[in-house]
Amino acid sequence: MGNFFHLWPVLLFLAFMLGVSFWVQRASRGDRQQNFAKDYFIGGRSLGGFVLAMTTVATYSSVSTFVGGPGMAWAIGYGWLYMAIVQVVVIFLVLGIFGKKIAMVSRKIDAVTVVDVIRSRYQSDLLANISALVIVAFFCATMVAQFVGAAKLFEAVTGFSYVTGLTLFGLIVVFYTTVGGFKGVAITDAICAVAMIIGLFILFFSMLETGGGYEKIMTHIQTNHPDMLEPLSRGKMPISLYISQWLLVGVCTLALPQSVVRGISYKNTKALHNAMIIGTVVIGAMTLIATWIGVLSKGVLTDTLQAYGGSVDNITPLTIIGTMDPFWAGITIIGPIAATISTVSSLLLASSSAIIKDVYMHECSKRHKTVSNNTIRLFSMGATVILGLGVYFIAIAPPSVIWKINMFAFGGLETAFFWVLIFGLFWKKANRTGAVFAMAGGVLAYCTTMALQIKFFDLHQIVIGIGASLIFFLIGNALGKEHDEHILRIFFPEKYSD
Amino acid sequence: MNRKEKFKQANREANATWLALLIVIFFWCVAGFGLADVKVEFFQTPLWVWAGCIGTWLFAIVVSVVLANCIFKDMDLDDKEDEING
Repeated sequence: MGNFFHLWPVLLFLAFMLGVSFWVQRASRGDRQQNFAKDYFIGGRSLGGFVLAMTTVATYSSVSTFVGGPGMAWAIGYGWLYMAIVQVVVIFLVLGIFGKKIAMVSRKIDAVTVVDVIRSRYQSDLLANISALVIVAFFCATMVAQFVGAAKLFEAVTGFSYVTGLTLFGLIVVFYTTVGGFKGVAITDAICAVAMIIGLFILFFSMLETGGGYEKIMTHIQTNHPDMLEPLSRGKMPISLYISQWLLVGVCTLALPQSVVRGISYKNTKALHNAMIIGTVVIGAMTLIATWIGVLSKGVLTDTLQAYGGSVDNITPLTIIGTMDPFWAGITIIGPIAATISTVSSLLLASSSAIIKDVYMHECSKRHKTVSNNTIRLFSMGATVILGLGVYFIAIAPPSVIWKINMFAFGGLETAFFWVLIFGLFWKKANRTGAVFAMAGGVLAYCTTMALQIKFFDLHQIVIGIGASLIFFLIGNALGKEHDEHILRIFFPEKYSD
Repeated sequence: MNRKEKFKQANREANATWLALLIVIFFWCVAGFGLADVKVEFFQTPLWVWAGCIGTWLFAIVVSVVLANCIFKDMDLDDKEDEING
């Protein structure tokens, strides 16, 4: 059992998040009375550059930025840092490629979600419903995994039980997401990003101090682990892994719906331009410091992996406990908790928007049934809180199938949306049949090869997923026919001369 | 800018972003793998680590600044003009 005194920093931080969300709710009362869904799910398109950058980074950086990544860096060395740094491109990619076009299109068609845009472009309820299903299934599994990772870390660092930690930040994040909506999520994300950076700095310097300074740690690594100073790490980091990671955590992340939706949410182009720069600075700094901590912890945790419980996930908690007193550990733990809740809040809201906005509200409008603003409010908040609590309860004792879905989630989402979004926004001839084939066939190919461990030239299955999805798209596209001009004019006005 | 010009500009920006990605990948390859065998060290750390990791980060910042300030243009995201003209 841990000392309650050391929990105060975390409690204060979480209380602050709650306070911010209630403040956002108060401040957007007027907007929500006018059009609840628009304010709740996209924040009324009002984000400025700093918040846009920080929420995109915070959603992307998760508990594995703090746990899995540094743990692997401890085992592999600088090669892992060199591989992790490919993530510097993800922010300017998603904002630069999709940001403007999706902002203009969504304003024109009054879209609130990525699925709205997909439905309108391909004129397909089937595709929209598959998209919503893919989003909800993969997001929920990811949320459970995030909760589990953070609760384990919490237990190891503070001494309080797994369920205590999970209940503490799990219930609070569900609650503040429900209250604050998209704007609340964005602002709390920005605060979380700052908390992550502070946590990383504390950990970085306390670790250097314990290890006797940077050069002493490096001398230890040079003498005992020279392989950690080579990019290929004597075979532990094959070229195929670098190529795989460029695709999986670099290029293909541009289609993750939780990132793309941020392109609908910002205020003006100035915000977008600033966010590209700020986001690149911040995501690079975070990745660098977090992974570097992992490499350098080799000079502090000098034993073999077996001595540390046989899992690299134990490296970060052991580094925290081993290099600082409980008071500072209590402050540092805010970093990974912030990383977790900022990811969960965005995924939770995107999931409930998929259910309420993309499926329920669309079904109602199709049947010419008017739904009052109050009903939408009730259902939206209800869906958010029920989904959130569901994820919380599953995370208490997650069944093994959750781990399988989670393993498929990241690449599965990329495979599902990569070509559908790129072709949808940039290729006039792309049609419904192609998109349905690409999404269904790609995800199926990806999940099957993942499950059976089938690889292509030793590359990660994302290569098969993206490749298969492209082929399916082209085949389907040849079978289908081009969409009506009045739709295409919204997405491609530049292709028409009058 | 009218709506057509805005979309043309958005296409140009997207293409420039793809190009920027290729340039960063190229820099990353040269600065990391390219310098992997150079026996120069700063603070007991090989040159390729500084260039390939910190260097790639700084280079990506420069690239995003160039994109945002030189290639990307400010525009009104709403479609007011068309509404007026019908």
